[in-house]
Amino acid sequence: MRNRNLRFVELSLSRRRLLAGAASLSFAAIAGGALSRVQAAPRIAITEGSFQPMPIALPDFLGGSSGDSELARSITQVVAADLRRSGLFAPIDPAAYIERIVNTDAVPRFADWRAINAQALVTGRLTRQSDGRLKSEFRLWDVFAGQQLIGQQYFTTPDNWRRVAHIISDAIYERLTGEKGYFDTRIVFVDETGPRERRVKRLAIMDQDGAGVRYLTRGEDLVLTPRFNPSTQEITYMSYGQGDPRVYLLNIETGQREIVGNFPGMTFAPRFSPDGQRVIMSLQQGGNANLFVMDLRSKTTTRLTDTAAIDTAPCYSPDGQQICFESDRGGTQQIYIVAAGGGAAQRISFGSGSYSTPVWSPRGDAIAFTKRGQGTFGIGVIKPDGSGERLLTEGYHNEGPTWAPNGRVLAFFRDPGGNSGPSLFTVDVTGRNEQRIPAPSYASDPAWSPLLS
Amino acid sequence: MKNGLTISVMAHAAVLLWAVVSFAPRTLNAPPSESMPIDIISTTEFSQLRAGARNAPKTETPKPLVEKVAEKKAADDPIAKIVQKPELITASAQVPPPAADAKPEPKSKAAENKDPKPDPKTDAIADVLKKEQKPEPKKEAKPQPKKPDKPQPKFDANRIAALLDKRDPQRVAAAGDVVNHTLAFGARTGDAPTLSQSEIDAFRQRLKSCWTPPAGAPNADRIKVPITIRLKLDRTLAAPPEVEMRASDPYTQAMIESAVRAIIQCQPYTMFSVPRYEIWKELPLSFDPVEMFGGG
Repeated sequence: MRNRNLRFVELSLSRRRLLAGAASLSFAAIAGGALSRVQAAPRIAITEGSFQPMPIALPDFLGGSSGDSELARSITQVVAADLRRSGLFAPIDPAAYIERIVNTDAVPRFADWRAINAQALVTGRLTRQSDGRLKSEFRLWDVFAGQQLIGQQYFTTPDNWRRVAHIISDAIYERLTGEKGYFDTRIVFVDETGPRERRVKRLAIMDQDGAGVRYLTRGEDLVLTPRFNPSTQEITYMSYGQGDPRVYLLNIETGQREIVGNFPGMTFAPRFSPDGQRVIMSLQQGGNANLFVMDLRSKTTTRLTDTAAIDTAPCYSPDGQQICFESDRGGTQQIYIVAAGGGAAQRISFGSGSYSTPVWSPRGDAIAFTKRGQGTFGIGVIKPDGSGERLLTEGYHNEGPTWAPNGRVLAFFRDPGGNSGPSLFTVDVTGRNEQRIPAPSYASDPAWSPLLS
Repeated sequence: MKNGLTISVMAHAAVLLWAVVSFAPRTLNAPPSESMPIDIISTTEFSQLRAGARNAPKTETPKPLVEKVAEKKAADDPIAKIVQKPELITASAQVPPPAADAKPEPKSKAAENKDPKPDPKTDAIADVLKKEQKPEPKKEAKPQPKKPDKPQPKFDANRIAALLDKRDPQRVAAAGDVVNHTLAFGARTGDAPTLSQSEIDAFRQRLKSCWTPPAGAPNADRIKVPITIRLKLDRTLAAPPEVEMRASDPYTQAMIESAVRAIIQCQPYTMFSVPRYEIWKELPLSFDPVEMFGGG
């Protein structure tokens, strides 16, 4: 009897203990959960900023002798102009500087630069070496964090000072924005002079800031649509010599010129593949046009599309796997994508109006095009899957977009009509910062070179 | 009997079949409602959460303002007998002159009312009241001949000066144990342990004016930078901002640097109040530019 009672008591105690243990466990779990949730405070989300150009201070580079100081000042001015024209930087007026830099190896007084609100500071020095070369060095400082970001030096002949300035601008741009620069590049274009009815068109090349213009043809033949090779300093262009349009391949450094082929009925010069070994073009046969790929060394052509429509203006993707082109097989001119080996083409643009001259961005994330509709022309971009279409600029006769090698800036030409002629413009891929490129005369059909270095 | 049974069974079966067929199950339309996560904790847990841990590191807490060390005064002996009863002076004995016009009649009435009912316990008070009853009629007589044409009490702006406290302004220095010039008051454990929405909004607005994210990255809208900042009492940074991620590519590096620059440039953060220092001395932030790149 007693044993049974004891056993009964033991059982109930153990059950009670079990229940108590479970309850305390659950309380502990809940409390622990609550405690941990309280300790991990939610992060304050900062979601808004402003797209303002970064204030940057560029005191004149130091030079050894007086002649070098003049050169140093010119280099500083080219760097400041490059950064200002990109729309992402705002060089501060040198009159506002408080500290005077006399030694580029010393740490600057950051408090002085913070006082004028400079977020970055560039100091530099030029020294002439014993063999006549110029040594240019610069340091980029983060003023608010109080530390150096980059320090580089370059050796070059004194005539190449403009290129050194552009290389320095590229280094600064890359470090502060994270994107590759585009200042050490050139633009080849068609220079137009004379009255509208009898324009003289010459092929010309200049630095992307408009300096150093050089003419590549003499102007006897009509030249159109130069295209840059993405890997070498070669261009193709079309020349209407004795009636028939010919495609030429010109090496800019050596000046060597060769004929790629004789293509009757062609309207656009071919474009290079990313490896520079092939060109893709559109050839007209009868009432329709199709895409062909030609190997530059062997000169063999392979057909890519075979439709009854007009397929033209083809362009390779940066990885060489796909080709975008314009076609009117759907009724209006729209943009299509096809695999580089051929196959079914996929339409990606569906807006009203006609789309032409598609160009694939070197970053691969967008395709630029010319859109014509409702009496206006516009330059726009669209993602390769067809989404995110937007117009960057609109007006009468904007045409011919070409990408800077970092995929951030586009150049195009605009012809206002009437008695004047076309001019070259650049615009940022966000649609802001439209700038005119100064050229000696009217200019059209720009093509942006890859980075020279 | 059998017929009736079969008919009944078949009728029941028919009704049931009809019911099954016609009453088609309809799905319950439960509109999705916003669910709120709820924790259930006991009151002891709650107070323990707020009290903090016993072995937590000591932190800097705001102390009350002290401008001079207090002089030590001997406390009154609390157990001594009260031998002297101080004379009681009631407030009504010091009626200000301009109010005497209005006050005498109701006051005298009140005094008369109190008269017939003397409270035997509060003798002192009754005595004083009797005393002031006598000067009342005298006061009544005096003000009236002075200002015979004075109507019922009206607010007279000129008399405000007479109502003002004419004592010299004295600011008594705050006295305490240890001199501390930083002003801080209020309970150390306030009952709002989080930042208010207006403080958060002011902080975000401030950073909006300083932050310029690099715009051109192909995936700029997907880069989020988690940073924790520590502030001192004067609302400036106590240490460089701690970035809690490592840059994997140049775009992320540029985004991180832009956020750090913005934080350093935007000091001091004056929207925070000193008494609530415990709440804002360490702030976890997340720089997320996704809304700025809505256009792609």
